[in-house]
Amino acid sequence: MKLLKRLGKALLLLSAYPCGLIALLWFTFVLFHIPPGPALHAYKNGALGGGNFNTFYSLSETLVEATPLLLTGLSIVVAWQAGMFSIGGEGQLLMGALTAMSLAWLVHYLPAPLVTLIMVCASIAAGALWGGAAGWLRVKFNVQEVISTIMLNYLALYLVGAAVQGPLQERSRSGPESDLLPDKLLFAHLLPPAVTGGMIARLHTGVLIALAAVPVVWLYLYRTRQGFALRLTGSNSNAARCAGYSVSKTRLQAMLFSGALCGLAGSVQLLGVASRLDQGFSPGWGYSAIPVALMGGLAPGGTLLSALFFGALTAGANNAERLASVPAEVVNIVQAAAVLAVVGIHAWQNRAQLHAGE
Amino acid sequence: MRQAHLKPPLLEMRGICKQYGTTVALDRVDLTGCAGEIHAILGENGAGKSTLMNILSGMTMPDSGAISLRGSLVQLRSPAEARAHSIAMVHQHFTLVPAFTAAENFALDVKGGNSAHFSVREAAAPIFKKAEELGWVFDPEARVRDLPVGVQQRMEIVRALATGAEILVFDEPTAVLAENEIEELFAVLRRLKEEGRLVLLIAHKLTEIMAAADRVTVLRKGKNAAVSDISSTNVAQLAAWMVQGSEVLEPAHVLPSLLPRRSSAEGGETLLKADKLVVYGDRGEAALRGVSMEVRAGEVLGIGGVDGNGQTELAEALAGLRKTAEGSITWKGGRFLPGRTLTAAYIPQDRRRDGLAVNMTIEENLLFEAVKDREYRKWSLLRRHSLRKLGQRLVEEFDIRTSSMFLPASSLSGGNQQKIIVARALYRNPEWIVALNPTRGLDIGAARYVHTRLLQARERGASIVLISTDLDELRAVADRAAILSGGRLSPFSLDSASSIELGLMLGGAGALEKGDELA
Repeated sequence: MKLLKRLGKALLLLSAYPCGLIALLWFTFVLFHIPPGPALHAYKNGALGGGNFNTFYSLSETLVEATPLLLTGLSIVVAWQAGMFSIGGEGQLLMGALTAMSLAWLVHYLPAPLVTLIMVCASIAAGALWGGAAGWLRVKFNVQEVISTIMLNYLALYLVGAAVQGPLQERSRSGPESDLLPDKLLFAHLLPPAVTGGMIARLHTGVLIALAAVPVVWLYLYRTRQGFALRLTGSNSNAARCAGYSVSKTRLQAMLFSGALCGLAGSVQLLGVASRLDQGFSPGWGYSAIPVALMGGLAPGGTLLSALFFGALTAGANNAERLASVPAEVVNIVQAAAVLAVVGIHAWQNRAQLHAGE
Repeated sequence: MRQAHLKPPLLEMRGICKQYGTTVALDRVDLTGCAGEIHAILGENGAGKSTLMNILSGMTMPDSGAISLRGSLVQLRSPAEARAHSIAMVHQHFTLVPAFTAAENFALDVKGGNSAHFSVREAAAPIFKKAEELGWVFDPEARVRDLPVGVQQRMEIVRALATGAEILVFDEPTAVLAENEIEELFAVLRRLKEEGRLVLLIAHKLTEIMAAADRVTVLRKGKNAAVSDISSTNVAQLAAWMVQGSEVLEPAHVLPSLLPRRSSAEGGETLLKADKLVVYGDRGEAALRGVSMEVRAGEVLGIGGVDGNGQTELAEALAGLRKTAEGSITWKGGRFLPGRTLTAAYIPQDRRRDGLAVNMTIEENLLFEAVKDREYRKWSLLRRHSLRKLGQRLVEEFDIRTSSMFLPASSLSGGNQQKIIVARALYRNPEWIVALNPTRGLDIGAARYVHTRLLQARERGASIVLISTDLDELRAVADRAAILSGGRLSPFSLDSASSIELGLMLGGAGALEKGDELA
């Protein structure tokens, strides 16, 4: 009986999200005076999936757009669960991409797959270093990570700027961007054109790496001692200290891991999609990661779902503009509204819990 | 007191009900208080004392019920309205601004006009005058954070009086005070009573109620359990009302001296030896100034004293959580590394602040120690199955009352939360236990439970240091005792020391001269 009741409650809660989402979409359409006919048409044709051509193609687009959001979102999950309110995903991602790019010359001396592996590993290390720097500043000098990570973001952004106008600039020295990476270094495309109706789908190996990161982060957080210490520190650092855990060590570890995930996102984007580094390399993935992670309830599984949702929205944005004359910015509005809705539901839940506890 | 009864009641609360969600906090509770009376409100944690007082002070609205003052019905919709009806509350956690001076804090209460000229001194003057009437002098320039808690409490009292309050609610005022300060507080309460005010005293220490109050209303699980004149009741009766209603407990259960004290000759070998410890507090002040002690196997060393005299620092140093600047600690003559050269347990003082992660599940809170155990890991992954079994075992063994151990720890009552901490500390049968105020804020049943567990640990040969501000607790559990005052330890005898002597020792000045005499 009790179990049934709880199940019912869980179902109600689960249904709250899609219901809220549908209400939101409807509201958005009303707001922009889009009649239901074209709205439905737009939806059917992939406004929310990334292309009206082919199911596989749409799916591929969604996954490709979700990949950087997923990795950076997981990074936020790790940091925030440790009580480190890092906003440094952007900088860590850029440092990852920059480091990977700057090792591309190795291709002249080493076999290509090995160079790709080195680039990925180096990007992870660079991201970890960038995150770890903020963690070290916090535990050593009590510099708030909110501030230090933002500053480190700028540092990374301008380092990339300097690099693509200096040592890494393309051979003709005209634009602020690097050379294209040779094809043999890039991640393989996974879908043959035959499946996608002749279109070249961008689905690449990096997407699989990102998906594999989900269980890794989950195992770390919920099945290891370090993960337990991390969650405990984030939940109550005093209790962690009194139970004999080193709060400083845990915070530093969390920032290293968090940074590593963002660094990985950098090389995955570089090798999977962009193939070159320029100043506009990231459209703000490191920042979007925060709403992604929040909407995912700061849990790895939830973050996967919310990254896919955001990925679908992004992939569909351009189609929506074309098909339903919805400005692409509406996607941002929907994103923000979705986050607000989720945060609202959580706050409401917490309050209900608080009252029940009294 | 008899004649106080004949007067029309100053305060009458009738049939007060309050429900939070599905929890009934108050169920048709009555409270009558007369002018010139100290009226105690007694009850276990969660009995509804605080809710009732929050209703009286306008912070919460009752679902139903009537409040009348001097026979006329009133509505108390906000704290401001309560103040307008001369009801004031002296909170357990002070509402002073620590960074402000005494004068600035007093000036905060003054309703500021729109005048461009605002003088703190002028604004605070009436409150200082009120203090003078009571014979209290405050340094207007002293920062509140530098003042002792006793003085801060007096500031709170003066603030309440300055509003012209006739009904004063004191929420556990003695929790933060030393014994001599408690006496002084009671003198003030009596004086307020003589001036014809109604003093409502929330408390759960029975002896204090017997000493200070005229009448008592006992609440149990949100209902009236009893109303009585103090002169016609006794400690055992009060405890019985509070815990189970009618049945009278044996007095021995009220202050459990569960097992006979052990003389030093009976003790086992000396396990822990601390020599001239100097330890610094969080702000870099010397919190311990040369503390030496020895603890034997199968012995409880009690350490009394008022909060803020190095208690936390001593506990953390002894638990291996805080570095010692000077001096040494040895275990069986060897290195003292809790968790490595010995199994140790620490029961911190504030369970919500230091003991639990209330948002994590009950199970996770039980496993703080276990996840560190190699036994519960395979490679570096935790063995979920064994951990779950351990959690279940602890919930049963330590009688943690919950419908599921996967609920957040915040869903538990204070006593059950403390059981988590005790379970976590004791299930591995540690040789060395440090407990800091382990029963603070617990009701009698839960406190007795903690004491029993500690004494069981003593029986199997553990060395225990119990640091507590509650002397009754030390008398009940400790074999030997010392007082920590101003960062120094002085021995005292649990049997002979009178409250006055103790008060002097706690006050610090007496500790050095009196200490030797008593030892």
